[in-house]
Amino acid sequence: MTTDIIVIGGGIIGSAIAYNLTKRGKRVVLLEKKYLVNGASASCDQGILLQSKAPGDHLRLAIYSMEMYKGLEKELSRELEFSQKGYLVLIENEMELKTMEDVVRQQNACGLPSEIISAEEAMGLQPGLNRDAIVAAAFCPWDGEVNPYMTTFAYADRAAEMGAVIKTSCPVTGLLIENGQVKGVKTPEEVIYAETVVNAAGAWAPFIGQMAGLDIPIKPRRGQVYITEEVPKFVHKGAINARYIVAKHHPELLKNDTSKKAKLGVGISLTQSFKGNVLFGASREFVGYDASNTLEGLREVLANATHLVPGLKRLNIIRTMGGLRPYPPDSKPLIGYVKGLPGFFMAAGHEGDGISLAPATGKLVADLILDGHTDVPAAESFDVNRFELMKENG
Amino acid sequence: MNERELRTETYVPNEDNIYVCRCEEVTVGDIKRAIAAGADSVRALKLRTHAGMGVCQGMTCRRNIEKMLQEQKIDLDLCHSHSQRFPVRLLNAGDFTKVLEEAEEDEEGGCP
Ligand SMILES: Cc1cc2nc3c(=O)[nH]c(=O)nc-3n(C[C@H](O)[C@H](O)[C@H](O)COP(=O)(O)OP(=O)(O)OC[C@H]3O[C@@H](n4cnc5c(N)ncnc54)[C@H](O)[C@@H]3O)c2cc1C
Ligand code: FES
Repeated sequence: MTTDIIVIGGGIIGSAIAYNLTKRGKRVVLLEKKYLVNGASASCDQGILLQSKAPGDHLRLAIYSMEMYKGLEKELSRELEFSQKGYLVLIENEMELKTMEDVVRQQNACGLPSEIISAEEAMGLQPGLNRDAIVAAAFCPWDGEVNPYMTTFAYADRAAEMGAVIKTSCPVTGLLIENGQVKGVKTPEEVIYAETVVNAAGAWAPFIGQMAGLDIPIKPRRGQVYITEEVPKFVHKGAINARYIVAKHHPELLKNDTSKKAKLGVGISLTQSFKGNVLFGASREFVGYDASNTLEGLREVLANATHLVPGLKRLNIIRTMGGLRPYPPDSKPLIGYVKGLPGFFMAAGHEGDGISLAPATGKLVADLILDGHTDVPAAESFDVNRFELMKENG
Repeated sequence: MNERELRTETYVPNEDNIYVCRCEEVTVGDIKRAIAAGADSVRALKLRTHAGMGVCQGMTCRRNIEKMLQEQKIDLDLCHSHSQRFPVRLLNAGDFTKVLEEAEEDEEGGCP
């Protein structure tokens, strides 16, 4: 088979890319080793979060992506359970508060209407918080949510309707390289030729890179989450911990913390699905390609969440999940043609932001492949070539 | 038409409207459409339709869904296995907190 572009990976990123390229008239084949949303894109929370992005390029890209989400249900003619209900960042001590005041000032400078509010105001926005556990909160009304797997299906289905070929149960097992140029991929059944191969395999992107002798600095970072039965409105505003935003600015603060909670990278993420299931997490663990739930992880996640929101103890858990975030060393996705390997395009490494950044990523990738330039803001900041991917011996 | 025929007429609904998954109110028609859209495993069906995501976590509906996949000539052995995640049965978060706290005290037990 011959096509214009092959996209590897049927997560939210690969599907958004396939949709954007097909929309612009390209012949696209998307290859997924198992089924759509086999990876992180169905084992995650549903936040389109702006407050958690580092003020600057990352935040500008996220704001752009949020703008795209506002019109996405209409564009894809699908319900995606999108809403902008606003998120709280729970601040647990004076030191966190000081850093967050600074962060909020920088966010405001980027145009984000976040603000520091008192603990009482936070309790008014989200009843049931533990007053003794927080000293204040940051709030931003722009933060929102979307159903991640419905969004992935919608992108993939729309792409298919417009002519893209979506192949599931079809792993890429090798790359076709001729004269130092990627010409296609191998699957167990056939060789598929294309002008460009896009690596959107999330946490598994390094394995695709290895097929071309590349060293891609992405690692799986596990997150464990609880899901409760459907209940009436419990989460009025989504919530996350300030600790990880603070840690981005002062890594030393977390390094000195030797608790189990810190070791497992536990911070709250609280949200509720359209149907009424409350989702609460999450851990951030480096344990290789193991997406299972562990007693230790579940214990720390539950303890942290019920400390901040005691009312969670009344709810019944129906399921837990574990997902692998594609973690790059600098928290920013790796996007672009890899220098020195024509035909090979990287689009992975969104870590905990892939849902938020999917619309912008889809457009950015299509622009770069088809036009060589883009109006997506801060694009150069995510250029894959900021890392040296070619191994020494070539 | 005798009374018995009349009853069957009245009581046999259109197959597509029969619920396969009662917790999530997913019908035979929903499953058929998802299979047509490319779902080829229990998990793919679950993600497309929510079948099996309800309070009973597929205890009631899973077998019927597997049967429907088989009827569509989809080989279950080739399907990606559907892993059952903790806690399988409904578990109260408060009860679990207590169990975990007690377990932790036992682990640390004997401290002065
Ligand atoms: C617990 C948790 C909570 C999260 N919460 C949020 C949130 O609130 N907001 C947010 O924005 N982000 C969140 N994220 C992050 C988000 O889930 C990821 O960034 C995003 O899903 C990554 O999408 P992806 O398409 O790059 O990767 P994936 O969804 O992992 O997709 C990669 C795909 O590639 C396929 N693949 C791998 N190897 C091959 C091969 N050889 N051939 C073919 N296919 C292959 C895999 O099967 C997989 O389907 C969370 C993540 C976790 C784990
Ligand atoms: S009947 Fe399907 S989840 Fe309960």
